[in-house]
Amino acid sequence: MRIVMLTTLIILGFAASATEAANKNRHERFVKNYEGTQTCLKCHEEEAETFFHTQHYQWRGATPDLVNSGGQELGKLSMVNDFCTNPTGPQWIGKVKNADGKTLAKGCSSCHSGLGKPPAQEISREQLENMDCLICHASGYRRDLYATEDGGWEWKPILWKNQEGLNSVARRIQIPDRTMCLRCHSASGGGPNFKRGDIEYTLKDPPRSFDVHMASDGKDMTCVDCHEGEAHRVRGRGVDMAATDSPDAPLSCEGECHTATPHEITALDMHTDRVNCTACHIPTFARDEPTDMFRDWSNIYFSEEKGKYVYTAEFEQNVVPAYAWFNGKSRVQVPGVPVDRIESGAVAIVLPEGSKDDPAAKIHAFKVHRGKLPVLDDKQWLVPIATEEFYAHGDIDKAVREAAESFYGMDEIEYSWNDTIRYMGIFHEVVPREDALGCLDCHRPGGRMDWQALGYDGDPLEDKLRASR
Amino acid sequence: MKTTLHLTMAAFVGVLALGFSTLATTPAASADGKELYREYCKGCHEEGSPNGEYTPMSLIQDQWTRFFDKKYTRTHKSVIDEKHGGKPVTETISPEDLELIREFSIEGAADSEHPMTCG
Ligand code: HEC
Ligand code: HEC
Ligand code: HEC
Ligand code: HEC
Ligand code: HEC
Ligand code: HEC
Ligand code: HEC
Repeated sequence: MRIVMLTTLIILGFAASATEAANKNRHERFVKNYEGTQTCLKCHEEEAETFFHTQHYQWRGATPDLVNSGGQELGKLSMVNDFCTNPTGPQWIGKVKNADGKTLAKGCSSCHSGLGKPPAQEISREQLENMDCLICHASGYRRDLYATEDGGWEWKPILWKNQEGLNSVARRIQIPDRTMCLRCHSASGGGPNFKRGDIEYTLKDPPRSFDVHMASDGKDMTCVDCHEGEAHRVRGRGVDMAATDSPDAPLSCEGECHTATPHEITALDMHTDRVNCTACHIPTFARDEPTDMFRDWSNIYFSEEKGKYVYTAEFEQNVVPAYAWFNGKSRVQVPGVPVDRIESGAVAIVLPEGSKDDPAAKIHAFKVHRGKLPVLDDKQWLVPIATEEFYAHGDIDKAVREAAESFYGMDEIEYSWNDTIRYMGIFHEVVPREDALGCLDCHRPGGRMDWQALGYDGDPLEDKLRASR
Repeated sequence: MKTTLHLTMAAFVGVLALGFSTLATTPAASADGKELYREYCKGCHEEGSPNGEYTPMSLIQDQWTRFFDKKYTRTHKSVIDEKHGGKPVTETISPEDLELIREFSIEGAADSEHPMTCG
């Protein structure tokens, strides 16, 4: 058994893609001794400068796809969301420990592709050296948070004490594969698949039944195959991201890869004008890892299991998407202005634009995330929460006041807890054709379409049948 | 040329299948490996230890392989393990247990992939 395996492994080794091997070998020579990002900058200053300007580094950018941003540059740094609220201030970086010395949090910068300093708007040597190229370009790279000599914090390779090992990893340079993108994207929102629902760690190596595009035994596409843009700017904003990195190159199923009428069955093709591909081809999401569907920051408790104070959350697995119109533009809750509410009274964190009467809109699949966040009584502004310290002290009122202070500079506030709602597009986990939705999933009483809510009098198929009778 | 390609493909499929079957068995092994590592290695290699601090995350997979293949016997055959009856480390740990410790170390090595989480 062992011998058979070894032989096959050897054959496989020789068969490995020649270009991949060539690239790996090249950086074997290029990277003599890895001394941080400056090692890469010696040859890649230009690429580093392009990366500096991306949303991945700036966490802020132009907002051509928002209808109510007033042309401001916005992004994660300036927004307040219904998951971890806002990453600036004390929660940017630093270890928070409980009484037992267990680390509870390391800061929101754990998902920033920098080494700990917040992004600046002016480019400088210090900023360039703060970029973490390896987080996207080196396989086998891992980093952790360490105290600096001057009492601050920095992200460093866990191999910092093992130069031989570190050099080996820093030579494994490649265009990012799925694993690298998933390092951050599969655990956003605080844990495995908490946030997006359709970007799970399973996508590292999924079977075809899970995702036809990224299946290891199928097309084996990487994230970059779809998302690659110019000059380090990724394509694709989805619905709930404030900024757009590549406004001139929007990403959608139709265009380079599929036509708008890809089916042999006319009854399917006639839908694509008004029904987005995702609505039929992603019947459920969060198929492996449950996803956070409701996060209530007002209702906190001590979790014995985690050894920390936590918010109350509801998780769901194999979730049926919600369906709503979307024309590519969104309306978001901008901090520092009075909140918008939907009919139910919930504060609209993100809503897709579009309706049945808007010819540019199509029905899309969504994860609808609900939450509870503080809103100022007088000004009606959304307030973030100093989440990281909260995990240790458990005083949510204090955490709200601290965040109001660091985010708005306000020391005396009165606030109330409000329901929130946010629409997030579902674009991944496309199933094989045989598992796509059938006619009756939508066209039957109690089916997936809430016809009235979508603006129809009733099921249009029924109308059609009635008319032809 | 065509036949070679097909042969390679067949081998590839073979490796995939074997790969999956070994993957399926590792979790149980690594749970034991973790216990065994704690029992037989940790005591001498904790933070600040004069013997050097070693957890699986201290070395990359290649270094662990090299350690178990080439260095372990040489570096541990005359190190006495007082905690387990005063015999040399190499005589204290059975070959089966050492194999599990090896698997655990390689699986959790510094260059093994994991998603990042907050906290
Ligand atoms: C001594 C110069 C040198 C150093 C140092 C160097 N590179 Fe490169 N790198 C190159 C050259 C040359 C290429 C090939 C460019 C081409 O083919 O157009 C390249 C290509 C790349 C590519 C594209 C790989 C591909 O498969 O297309 C990436 C990504 C990259 N380098 C990242 C890095 C990172 C990260 C570092 C730091 C760890 C680094 N490089 C250090 C010279 C260098
Ligand atoms: C270091 C963590 C990290 C890594 C690694 C990472 N991302 Fe991101 N990504 C983020 C964060 C955080 C955002 C949200 C930025 C914002 O809202 O300002 C984001 C946003 C995006 C977006 C939305 C559009 C945009 O420009 O913001 C896309 C698409 C995306 N990432 C794809 C990728 C792909 C593809 C890879 C792998 C090549 C990748 N990401 C690797 C953290 C990461
Ligand atoms: C968030 C992930 C991410 C980070 C961090 C990142 N890159 Fe890249 N890089 C990519 C992606 C994706 C590509 C593929 C092509 C593109 O988008 O330009 C790429 C392409 C490249 C290339 C090949 C360019 C070409 O034209 O083929 C080089 C060289 C490179 N990056 C160097 C760097 C350096 C140096 C750093 C650190 C200063 C860095 N990258 C940081 C994601 C990243
Ligand atoms: C088959 C193509 C394809 C692949 C492969 C793919 N994506 Fe996407 N992704 C999309 C499309 C389409 C969108 C929506 C773009 C839009 O409407 O702006 C999207 C949106 C996103 C967004 C924006 C937020 C959102 O709405 O979800 C992120 C982040 C993202 N993808 C990350 C990834 C990561 C990480 C991977 C790899 C694990 C990946 N994508 C693989 C097609 C793809
Ligand atoms: C109303 C639901 C619906 C919509 C909207 C829809 N599809 Fe499909 N699609 C299906 C079904 C059902 C099948 C399986 C047909 C079969 O079994 O022959 C399918 C099959 C496919 C196939 C496999 C090829 C084939 O002809 O069987 C592709 C590729 C595809 N769809 C792409 C798309 C793209 C791209 C879009 C958006 C432009 C889209 N679909 C929109 C329901 C839909
Ligand atoms: C994802 C849900 C969904 C699925 C699955 C679906 N439909 Fe529809 N169907 C719709 C929607 C939404 C409309 C309204 C489109 C519009 O406004 O033009 C519609 C409209 C129709 C109409 C009326 C068209 C008209 O001219 O008024 C017919 C007929 C129809 N569908 C038949 C089918 C058949 C047959 C299938 C299976 C092959 C199917 N649908 C699958 C959602 C769906
Ligand atoms: C009784 C104490 C003791 C025990 C038990 C022990 N070691 Fe060691 N270990 C040592 C000493 C002493 C050295 C040698 C330090 C030196 O030479 O600088 C060492 C060296 C090492 C080294 C570095 C080897 C090199 O030179 O590269 C590694 C790795 C290591 N041990 C791993 C382990 C592992 C894994 C285990 C459990 C299977 C283990 N040790 C059990 C005492 C111990």
